[in-house]
Amino acid sequence: MPEASKIELAIVVLVLIGIIVSSATVVYTVSVMSDLASVRSDVNVLKDSVANLTSSISDLTEIIRILATSVNMSLERITALETRLLEIEASLAARETLIVGTTDSIELTLDPAQAYDYFGWCILQQIAGTLVSVKPGSTTGTDYVAELATSWNYSSDLKVWDFNLREGVTFPDGTTFNATHVKYSFDRAIALIPSIPEGAPAGLGYDAIIDNVTVLSTYQVRFYLKMSFSPFLGILACRASAIVDPTYAPIAQVNYTQSDPRASTPVAFVGPYILSKWVRVGGKDQEIRLDANPNYWNLASGYPKLKHVVFKFYSDATSLRLAIESGDVDMAFRHISPTDILELEKNPNLRVWWGSGAFIQYLCFQTKRAPFNETKARIAVAAALNRSAVCDTVFLGLADPLYSIIPPGMLGHTEAFTALGDANYTLTRSLLAELGYNESNPLKFDLWYESSGHYPMSREQALLYEEALEASGVIDVTLKSADWAQYKQNRDNEVMDAYIYGWYPDYVDPDDYAFLYWASWLHTNYSNDTQVSYYDQARATTNTTLRAELYAKIDEIAVQQCSVVPLYVSSAWAVTKPSIYGVYLDITQDMRYWLISK
Amino acid sequence: MGLRAFIITRIILTIPTLLLLLSMVFIIMRVLPGDPVSLHFEKKADPELMDSMRRQLGLDKPLWMQYIDYIGGLVDIGYFMQHGYPNLGKSMQTFEDVGGQIFSAFPATLELAIYSMMIASILGILLGVLASKSYNSVLDHLIRSFGTITYAIPVFFLGIVLQLIFGVYLRWLPTGLRLDPKIEPPATVTGLYTVDSLLEGNIFKFFESLKALILPSLTLGIILSGIFVRLTRINMLETLRLDFVTAARARGLRESTITYGYALRNAFLPILTMMGLQFAMLLGGAILTETTFSWPGLGRYIVQRISFRDYTAIQGAVVMFGLFVTIVSLVVDILYAYFDPRIRL
Amino acid sequence: MSEPKVKRSILAQLMPWLKSLARKGPSGWMVIAGIIIVLALVIMTAIGPWIAPYNPTATRVGPIRSPPSLQFPMGTNHLGQDMLSRILCGGSIMLQVSALSVVICFLIGVPIGLFSSYVGGKFDSAVSLVIDAIYAFPGLVIAIAIAAMLGPGVINMALSIAVVYIPSYFRVVRSQVLSIKELAYVEAARATGAKWHTILLRYIFPNVIPSIVVVVTINFADAILTAAGLTFIGLGVTYNIPDWGWDLTDGRAYLAAGAWWIILFPGIMIVLLALGFTFIGEGLSELQNPKLQR
Repeated sequence: MPEASKIELAIVVLVLIGIIVSSATVVYTVSVMSDLASVRSDVNVLKDSVANLTSSISDLTEIIRILATSVNMSLERITALETRLLEIEASLAARETLIVGTTDSIELTLDPAQAYDYFGWCILQQIAGTLVSVKPGSTTGTDYVAELATSWNYSSDLKVWDFNLREGVTFPDGTTFNATHVKYSFDRAIALIPSIPEGAPAGLGYDAIIDNVTVLSTYQVRFYLKMSFSPFLGILACRASAIVDPTYAPIAQVNYTQSDPRASTPVAFVGPYILSKWVRVGGKDQEIRLDANPNYWNLASGYPKLKHVVFKFYSDATSLRLAIESGDVDMAFRHISPTDILELEKNPNLRVWWGSGAFIQYLCFQTKRAPFNETKARIAVAAALNRSAVCDTVFLGLADPLYSIIPPGMLGHTEAFTALGDANYTLTRSLLAELGYNESNPLKFDLWYESSGHYPMSREQALLYEEALEASGVIDVTLKSADWAQYKQNRDNEVMDAYIYGWYPDYVDPDDYAFLYWASWLHTNYSNDTQVSYYDQARATTNTTLRAELYAKIDEIAVQQCSVVPLYVSSAWAVTKPSIYGVYLDITQDMRYWLISK
Repeated sequence: MGLRAFIITRIILTIPTLLLLLSMVFIIMRVLPGDPVSLHFEKKADPELMDSMRRQLGLDKPLWMQYIDYIGGLVDIGYFMQHGYPNLGKSMQTFEDVGGQIFSAFPATLELAIYSMMIASILGILLGVLASKSYNSVLDHLIRSFGTITYAIPVFFLGIVLQLIFGVYLRWLPTGLRLDPKIEPPATVTGLYTVDSLLEGNIFKFFESLKALILPSLTLGIILSGIFVRLTRINMLETLRLDFVTAARARGLRESTITYGYALRNAFLPILTMMGLQFAMLLGGAILTETTFSWPGLGRYIVQRISFRDYTAIQGAVVMFGLFVTIVSLVVDILYAYFDPRIRL
Repeated sequence: MSEPKVKRSILAQLMPWLKSLARKGPSGWMVIAGIIIVLALVIMTAIGPWIAPYNPTATRVGPIRSPPSLQFPMGTNHLGQDMLSRILCGGSIMLQVSALSVVICFLIGVPIGLFSSYVGGKFDSAVSLVIDAIYAFPGLVIAIAIAAMLGPGVINMALSIAVVYIPSYFRVVRSQVLSIKELAYVEAARATGAKWHTILLRYIFPNVIPSIVVVVTINFADAILTAAGLTFIGLGVTYNIPDWGWDLTDGRAYLAAGAWWIILFPGIMIVLLALGFTFIGEGLSELQNPKLQR
């Protein structure tokens, strides 16, 4: 073998190795390729799955988004519903609340043994109960209805009165009302008279009328009176006769309730409302709130109609008028001037209510010295008065001329003083001529009026009386005035020749008016036994015909004597929003807020 | 003398003045005719009942004993500690503590006084400075006329006119009361509704009470500003003529710096005194303003009590006010002495 | 024959004085304007009853609360009275009350001031203390208390207003006297043995007069405003005489009803009257103030 064949051998071996390697590689690559292919197909499968997943996820997101939107919408709906609910609640509450505007203020206290002011009695009427009350809408003032007493009768001499009491009435602390409470209330009122001389029981003369209160049984009570007294039910209907809870009304003292009634011991009552808020600043009321009494005995009849009463206090008639006009209050009663009420009547957004009045004003003469010691002089002046001019000009027709000391509608009202006429100058001149007065020697006297606003439009009235009297030609009037404190002192010191006075009844019965003709505290120094005897007879009988006759006889004498000359009786009015109804403006001048609804 | 000695002397001097004031009030009240006793009896009056009422009111004791009781009550520290107000007796009409009534009515007047004083002094000083800068020009005459005319207007007339325009015709502002009765007053901290509502964080109440304050304080403020206008004008005119002002101008200082920084500062002291004096005028004006705007403050309280012959209440209110005025003049005097050493000599 | 001479001499004295006032610039014009206003109102009130178209106190001469019209140029009030007639005649109460109170103040305040400050010493301090106490008193309260005490009436109102203003007279007089009494010629008078009352009357008092005149006019203006204020509270006079103060007070109740004329015209008149006096006082005080002389 040649040497060159070793190289050829090497090359052949190398080629063989190369072939083996490359075929191995080829085989390997082919296998990898097939693996790759399977991987690729796996990857493809994976990709597909991933794609599926992604689309499912986006579907899910979409679903969640839709869910969220609907949840949002529901939430909004819920909020809107909530707000609506609150609004409805508020308007329900408003519909359940009566807002009353007034310029009054409780003078001192709400204790029946002391309170004697109009507004104190007004609030007491809403929260307290009496044995009887006057029927709402009454024109005579004497139609009494059952309240805490269900029935009653009296002896023929009108000195013994029996009452059957209502069962199932509870005080706020749970005590059941019974006869002992009645006895306690009256015993307390009478016992406190010496220490509360300015209170209502003292002023009404409880100690002079009531002798003794006896408990007959749990629900029967008897009053023994010191005199025959037919207007006794009237006395029982007024606020001084409110029944108190002994737990809260000690027999020996008055609970002077000021500011928050919860802070001081409350005097608990059984009326339609309870006093839940009472704020006073500087001696004047700022806010009073009444809430329905959950234990009220008459709840079944639907009273009180409105669950809440809120009193807002304004300081003068103008602010009150502006408040009712702007809708800040639902209702205003009292203290709106004649001018304002007539304007408000034209307002279509308001409703004005009219009612009969019981407030009267009258002219008193000082009879103990000249010139009015002469009856003829008094009659002459009375005849020269022009009541209609005053009623038209000063009160714009909202007061009526009064010709008897007892107002119209009430038992015993007459037109007696029309016998003297109005601006009857012929009579005036002839009577005065008999006394020696004429044009060159006129009758001179001082006419006094009260100047601090205690009576309405006093100055304007006085100006018109002066004008009317002087128009007769034979009278010369000098106007004089004093503020209330001085006026009362002048009255007591008897310095005024002729003076204008007013009267607001405590109880609406002619018995509370007729005595004005000779009342000793008016200091006219006039007395007349005949009139007094008629008066006593009238209070000793319940026979209305007889009583009317007696009061008419008293009026007749009054016209002949002219100690006190009635001038006018005022109407009553209230103004409310049109949605308010149930307002009773009757002769009692009381506003029964529990009857009012919206 | 030193400042401290001056202050002490002044404080000591106030005591006899106060005592005199008290006694004068007491005497005037007792001399007033009209009996608080009879005022309790609306209709009928039994002499026995009236006597017991008289005893209840303490009016049956001899005059000197009533006087001693009264002074004694005032200096009763224990009562003051207990109630937070001095013992000024019990109201003869409502039997409430007079001190309590007065302290509940006083913040209303104070708030009115503060805002009126602010309006009066700002308006007055600004106008006065303006007038003094343009001496003898038309503007000067206009401002002077304003100053004179405002003083001649009855305060209640201006009040009524403002009420009519802004309250009745335009219905922008309330015509009376400190706050609309619909709104609950803010919790009492100082008694000043504006301050208290801010302390409470209630912006709504703040604006409502401010709204109610605008008309009455504007009324009083305009009337009082007249005096400030004239006083500022005259004092500024004097001061502006002085050498140091010319020197400042020569140095090239700005006019406004001269006016407000130099001249007004020097002219300010008499204005400060006037502010103190005007507080006394404020109650007089406040009485009528409070009546016009039904503002439940001390002025209206006094007027109401006079008609009730409520001696204790009137005494208490006047004493309160006298004390207030005395303190204010004391403070003014001390401030004046602090700023102007010449006074202490 | 003597009357025209007297007239001429009064006018003769007056005219140069007025002319000199006019020359003194705006302060002088103020005084003249004030005098004219006051005189015009006084004359109007004096002849009012003759020129008034209706009887000012007669009620129902026209419809109630009718607005200004040709027949009733200032409208009618709530009693149907003609407002124009009431305005023309309504100043008498205001003028009487303020004049009377000024006279009372002058007669009491000036002598006390003169005497007390001249004497000086403890007496002066004591009197000053009392006067300061009165001054610290809220003036309107005293006026109200006294008016309530005495009752309504021109004299009573004047008295109550006078009590309030006496301290102002006292203070002004006192500050003047204190500065004057140290002057050389007063010393000289004392040295020559002149009696105290001579010194007071002949030397000191004439120098005090200019400042007193200013106080008098301001007093007039204040008295008018206080009288209106007292009437507003209800302490006005009772007589059935037309009075701007009463019309202002009554008119308030009818504002809300829209009757602005009842309150506007009386108010303007009161402002005018007070303004007249204030102009006089302000003008005079500026004229006297040496610091303002250029």
